[in-house]
Amino acid sequence: MQETVIPLLAYQILAAMLFTIGIVGVLVRRSALVIFMSIELMLNAVNLSFVAFSKQNGQMDGQIFVFFVMSVAAAEVAVGLAILVAIFRSRETANVDDVHLLKG
Amino acid sequence: MTEAILFSLFSITAVFFAVNVIFRRNAVHCALHLVGVLLSISGLFVLLNAQFIAAIQILVYAGAIMVLFLFVVMLLNVRGESPLLTPGAAKGFGFFFAALAFVELLWVALSGGGSEGTARPPAALPPGFGSPAEIGRILYSTWLFPFEVTSILLLIAVIGAVVLAKRKFA
Amino acid sequence: MDIAFLIESAVKVLIVFGFVLAGVPLVVWMERKVIGHMQDRIGPQRVGPFGLLQTIADGMKLFFKEDLVPAGADRVVFIMAPALPVITAFLALCVIPFGDTVNVFGRQVPLQVTDVNIAILWILGTTSMGVYGIVLGGWASNSKYPLLGGLRSSAQMISYELAQGISLVSVILMTGTLSLAAIVRQQEHLWFIVPQFFAFVIYILCGIAETNRAPFDLAEAETELVAGFHTEYSSMKFALYFLAEYANMMVVSGIAISVFFGGWHGPVLPPVVWFLIKLSLFLFFYVWLRATFPRLRYDQLMAFGWKVLLPASLLNLAVTAVVLALQGAK
Repeated sequence: MQETVIPLLAYQILAAMLFTIGIVGVLVRRSALVIFMSIELMLNAVNLSFVAFSKQNGQMDGQIFVFFVMSVAAAEVAVGLAILVAIFRSRETANVDDVHLLKG
Repeated sequence: MTEAILFSLFSITAVFFAVNVIFRRNAVHCALHLVGVLLSISGLFVLLNAQFIAAIQILVYAGAIMVLFLFVVMLLNVRGESPLLTPGAAKGFGFFFAALAFVELLWVALSGGGSEGTARPPAALPPGFGSPAEIGRILYSTWLFPFEVTSILLLIAVIGAVVLAKRKFA
Repeated sequence: MDIAFLIESAVKVLIVFGFVLAGVPLVVWMERKVIGHMQDRIGPQRVGPFGLLQTIADGMKLFFKEDLVPAGADRVVFIMAPALPVITAFLALCVIPFGDTVNVFGRQVPLQVTDVNIAILWILGTTSMGVYGIVLGGWASNSKYPLLGGLRSSAQMISYELAQGISLVSVILMTGTLSLAAIVRQQEHLWFIVPQFFAFVIYILCGIAETNRAPFDLAEAETELVAGFHTEYSSMKFALYFLAEYANMMVVSGIAISVFFGGWHGPVLPPVVWFLIKLSLFLFFYVWLRATFPRLRYDQLMAFGWKVLLPASLLNLAVTAVVLALQGAK
């Protein structure tokens, strides 16, 4: 059976689409939690791009980088959600448009 | 042949779930659709000979990070906001900027990305590519220093999260 | 990928599926009988010989109960939530080897649905996905007690996942491979419970906490928080949660057998029979624990997981690594 190799371009376009969808989510949604999720979506698009290039070049460094991106994403989610909980516990709203004053 | 079918399947589900993440009203639905995106991307990782990273994606991202997201969504008890999207000119600017970014990314991809880009044929994969043994070998030799720094970063994150989540009664 | 491989895989999938669906009623019957006898009473005895058909009767009763969705509940998530732990349990069962390679029609067929070379990671991944069924079931019921029960239960599950993974890593250090079939094959002469006894103890305690069984079953016990995350579930959705619990018990037992108890190795009988004997012993042990120990309070439970099991598993890992390094292993 012949092997069809998926071209790198296909993975790049897919990663670009996911990244763009993430950008739309960050810029257009007003709920802080959904903005956070869109950031995670962008990170995943970047991970996909890294792994695709890693296979293209035959080097494992791309996958190691994805490993680090995942650890940093985990740390960022933990701290970011803690900040969100701390802010919105006092303000009773999860809407970023309402959190525009520094005074808490 | 199977690779093409699987790639199409996973990429279609990934894009479908991603669009749903940003356009659903209920935050829990958004989180569940994000889990769908993560699982689709994990499938794509397997197609790209990154088995260990695919398993770690399910274990860490879909299994732990998203559970944390769900906890916070449920604890904050977010009701759907109305209107859904930022009103007025900001919404138009958001879509325009995203379209601009997409065009730019496509342009870089299609132009071959310079000397490191798609112009070259794919390199031959050494045996054991993407296996845990290979990842371990590189992680503890070439990338040892970032690995140790990451562990300190995670420690800082744990301490930060605990401090931030404590109730600040006087 | 030829047609014989597809047929072979399909048959194995059907066998595992059928075994779980047929085995769970037997396990439930055994539990009720064993707990009954341990409590100096008889247990079910009227429906069928020795009460064997009791579970079938209960299943039929559940089937005819009214299947309600609470008002204000999220319909899609409410209906989807019970399916998730079942799906993850079956996915984890796919990689457990239940016998040696047999010769069927001239083909060598390994008795394992699929031999993934990252099997341990696969199992850890699917068990961490199993948390979703609990937390979504609790939330989708749109009611305080299920939500609290679901959050508590899933917090318990993710806390015990860490120590479970680390205890398995101690064994992986010794075997050098993540594939369950290879781990079983390496236990031909010495079962890994002998050098890794503490890892086994930690793993089995974490496994009991993962499946929300006594004495770690605060989040779903009938006297606490009404009934935990499955308060609002009735009829077949409740039966599905029930099935998921026993299927997860089988997964944990299967992994413990494959990693610590030599898998299907045994002297005289065919390997599958040995696997089934060991599986029955593990399930009996589960039931024995339920009959014997009182429930742990939630804070005791979480303290035990984080302050006792996690440091113990890390210590075990460190000692294993040091011993292996001193032995000059690869």
